[in-house]
Amino acid sequence: MNGGRKSFGGGGGGRGRGGAQGAQQGKDGQQRRPMFRRRKVCKFCADKIDDINYKDTRLLMPFVPERAKILPRRISGTCAMHQRKLRTAIMRARQLALIPYTAE
Amino acid sequence: MNRKYELVYVVSPDATDEQVTELHTQVEGIAQRMGGTIDKTENWGRRRLAYEIGRHKEGTYVLEVIDGSGELMKEIDRRLKVTDLVIRHLVVRVDEVQSVIDRTRTRRSEVSRRRRVARGLPPDRQPGEGQRGEPDDDRDDRFDMGEDMR
Repeated sequence: MNGGRKSFGGGGGGRGRGGAQGAQQGKDGQQRRPMFRRRKVCKFCADKIDDINYKDTRLLMPFVPERAKILPRRISGTCAMHQRKLRTAIMRARQLALIPYTAE
Repeated sequence: MNRKYELVYVVSPDATDEQVTELHTQVEGIAQRMGGTIDKTENWGRRRLAYEIGRHKEGTYVLEVIDGSGELMKEIDRRLKVTDLVIRHLVVRVDEVQSVIDRTRTRRSEVSRRRRVARGLPPDRQPGEGQRGEPDDDRDDRFDMGEDMR
């Protein structure tokens, strides 16, 4: 697959990214299938969770991965309103040492 | 006008149970003196702290739901600040948030009822009705990053 791509040069159909060719070739060593992304849904909208509470660490923990930073919206898919509420809840929980500020 | 507040405080792990209850009665005393009431008290017991606070690794968490004025909470806040036994505390006003939550809940159930009636169904969900649960939950896809992440 890789060889085929090379002979066609820059004609990689639909990739739309010319500049990064050189850098990308190394990564393409592992065969690339067409990008399939599941549609992200806001967890709080989908599960109809109205109350994002700072006391509920079980709910908040998935949104603070190992580094203990708040998971951005572009990854979690949370809607703007709920991300805002999530943020205040996380910050309150951090004050009470229920959730870490940072991982050492 | 009285408002509803939530107070959580973390008591140092060195404190005895008597000291914790004494702290509670102190808070109660201030509340009573200034025209407030304590609606609920919850002792979460000893918990590990997520990070060290002044070389403490554990703490006893106590939650109090207080009905009272802003001045009362200010006084409690001030008192807890000077109490060495309390290593952390947080006061949050909850009445407004709670009313918003209740409103969205009732609105949602109303809308669903209206829609169900419009579709010629009984207004409430019957047992065993509705979507069968999806076999794979898509909660885990939070961590597979899109191409834009690189």
